[in-house]
Amino acid sequence: MNRALLIILIAATALLMAVAFFMPAGPGATVGVASGSALPGFSPKANTPEQAMANVLLDVKRRNWDRAFVGVSKTSGVDERAFIEDWTGSSGSLRTFSNLEGFESRPLHATNDEAQMRVRLHWSTPVGPEEEARDFRLMREGDTWKVVWPHTETASVPAQVIPVDYLRWDLVSGGAEDEWGARNVDAPHVRILSMNAVQAGDGSVVMGEVVNEDTIPAFVNVNATVVDGSGNAIDEESSFDKIAHILLPKQVSPYRVDFPQISLQRVKNVRMDVKATLVPASADPVIGVMDQRLEPDAQGKNVLRGNLFNESGQTVNIPHVVASFYDNNGKVVWVADGYVERALLPQSSEPFAVEVPRALVGKVQNFHVVVNQYSLGRS
Amino acid sequence: MIRETGKASRLRGLMRGAAVLALALAGSLCSRAADAPQIQKDQVQLDVSKAGPRAVESLTQHGILRDYGSAWTSLAHALEFNTLDPLDGPFVGTAKKWLTERVLGQQRSGLRSRYQDQSHKLQAIFYAPEGDVIELHDTAEYRLQVLDGAKAVHDERVVVHYVVLMTPGADRWVIRQLQAVSQF
Amino acid sequence: MRRLLLLCAGAVLLAGASAGQELRVPPSVSAGEDATISTAGSGQATFYVVGPGVASKSSVNLGEEIQLHGQDLRNAGHYMAIVCSSTCQSASFYVIAAKPTNLSFLVHPSRVPVGQENAVSGVALPFDTFHNLVLSPAEVNFTMNAANAALFSRSVHMQQGIGWFRTSSGKTAGTVRVVASVADLSARRAVQQVASDPCNLRMQGQRTAKGITVQTEPVRDCSGNPVSDGTIVSFGAVTANGRSTVDAPIKHGVARAQIEGSGAAVVSVASGVVIGNELHIGAQQ
Repeated sequence: MNRALLIILIAATALLMAVAFFMPAGPGATVGVASGSALPGFSPKANTPEQAMANVLLDVKRRNWDRAFVGVSKTSGVDERAFIEDWTGSSGSLRTFSNLEGFESRPLHATNDEAQMRVRLHWSTPVGPEEEARDFRLMREGDTWKVVWPHTETASVPAQVIPVDYLRWDLVSGGAEDEWGARNVDAPHVRILSMNAVQAGDGSVVMGEVVNEDTIPAFVNVNATVVDGSGNAIDEESSFDKIAHILLPKQVSPYRVDFPQISLQRVKNVRMDVKATLVPASADPVIGVMDQRLEPDAQGKNVLRGNLFNESGQTVNIPHVVASFYDNNGKVVWVADGYVERALLPQSSEPFAVEVPRALVGKVQNFHVVVNQYSLGRS
Repeated sequence: MIRETGKASRLRGLMRGAAVLALALAGSLCSRAADAPQIQKDQVQLDVSKAGPRAVESLTQHGILRDYGSAWTSLAHALEFNTLDPLDGPFVGTAKKWLTERVLGQQRSGLRSRYQDQSHKLQAIFYAPEGDVIELHDTAEYRLQVLDGAKAVHDERVVVHYVVLMTPGADRWVIRQLQAVSQF
Repeated sequence: MRRLLLLCAGAVLLAGASAGQELRVPPSVSAGEDATISTAGSGQATFYVVGPGVASKSSVNLGEEIQLHGQDLRNAGHYMAIVCSSTCQSASFYVIAAKPTNLSFLVHPSRVPVGQENAVSGVALPFDTFHNLVLSPAEVNFTMNAANAALFSRSVHMQQGIGWFRTSSGKTAGTVRVVASVADLSARRAVQQVASDPCNLRMQGQRTAKGITVQTEPVRDCSGNPVSDGTIVSFGAVTANGRSTVDAPIKHGVARAQIEGSGAAVVSVASGVVIGNELHIGAQQ
């Protein structure tokens, strides 16, 4: 009896393994973490555009670059090094610290020999999960489909010498044993220019702008405490990365403080607290924000897009954009931010886009963009 | 097999409840005994009518009342139990140094000091134009006990006049100078 | 009757013993100076002294003087001397601050725009060598000097260990030296007088191969002081492709920026609430 049961179990397991091994991933809308070949090293034949796309992306996810590149059409005109760099990033950019966690793809249109697919890539990054939408063209080559890899223009900076008017503030701080008052330097004078609290989804958002009114740089953080009708604090949060933390004299930054679980109905008052501290800082690099415009993107979302232009001779590894949107009364109605995946090389541009909520598109009359920069090995 | 009657069961339940209550009460009393006495809110009074050149803001007044009272609770705790932890936070600079040395001295000689039944009448006499220092006069009244081991070597109700300098810290007003004088 | 007599004798003996331990302390001691406490009676006793920064215990012989070293009396405040044999006796005394040897001088603000009413203030507190606040009355002199000019001078009577002043900032940007002095002691602080908001902000621009280069004229306030380097000047350009903005810091008195694009552009400039001139620059030929 026991032996028969054992044989049945072994047979069922073998059958299920075989099914899993030979059954191709379905051509459904979602292909990602849970799909693909069960055994690493074996990819189902790319006899559909969906399968071809899934094969390439699964190998990219596993960092099997050679195998992934086999799925790329020779007509793409990219070499394997450029293909790999497209996925792994360079120059200490955000992409170099990111991993592809999953993807979803869906066909946009297809003929017998050509197809177009839209892929949503899910990345894990040091600044949180990021989502990227990309469109790919696929071609039938014999009895298999291949991905035509888009040639990505990478900034090529010619060797040059860029003079720098070096402007930097260093901080000499007193030790703990210093005489009281002997080495005091006042904290920078920073002021909240505006504050607006709105309902956003199930939670609420407090946003506005803050200005450095001093003549030295300031490291700024905005904290908000939401208070109920009885005057009790419900929650306290900080602007975290929804602000340009280092503000030069007279510089204005948007800020946004999220309270994801607290409905605005419960909030009767908001206590604002801006903390400014002295920090060593540099006036460089200067990053211009070019060709800013509000327009719909390929997915129909409304975005503010433009190009960041690095006017200096330093590489900005991770550019970060924070944008404030105003209504026709000049009131801040939304603050959005976004990280740029590629490094911003000296004297070159990189595109950026931040989303504007659909409900606010009609309200937005004006906008203001500031750029944070994170550069490896520099403060 | 012995069966309990309903009455006996109820009685047992009641006794169990009473025992739990008694335990909770005893625990609470024990934990209170281990703490230094808290200073009652109304035992610290602050008069800011003579402060200048800057007028003491209402929030500042409340902050000073709260933080000065809490600092004395910490002081009493530190000197009764010969521990330095309570001094971190409410005291800085000279005040902290003196209290630290006093605790270390008590530890070395096996002494303890108890500050009980405290009351403090504070008068703000100077508040800096930029609000970065306030000078207070405290007429403090308390029962001071000095113990050598378990033996009380001194027990007296005293009135001591303190000149106090407080400065704003990151999240509270802190005592920088706590200097007793024979009279103001 | 015999029992009553015995009780009375005991009481007298006890009273005698107590009186024998009597402590005589000095009315007050200057910080850091030695002091003497005298006792009466005879035999061994335990002597305690408790005060700010001090808690000690030692054996003494009653009837001898107890020497307190200056090292143990550095901190001003209330001290308790206790002597115990069969019973305990105590006496208290005060240590007062010695002569001032340094001044704590709090000056605000560190940076002040020129021409501001009552914008600079200072507080001086004298301390002795042991960090005791010196409470005895004294005169303190406050002076404020720019590079070559005296801006302010005042003598103030210190009360309860505090002297203070308040004055307006000067008219010229630069470092101002603020000094507080009590007798031969002095403390110096520096206040940076900075320019006010820019006045008459103007820029020039020209088309280059890469786009448009714009540069302000030297940025000054209405008194002619150069606005601090690092101050942000915002350049904006409206073109057919949208709007471009560059937040550029002033360096060596001017701010400059490069705006990409080849089309015609209307360029504006602002710093804080001050708006400058506008330039109309044609498209690249």
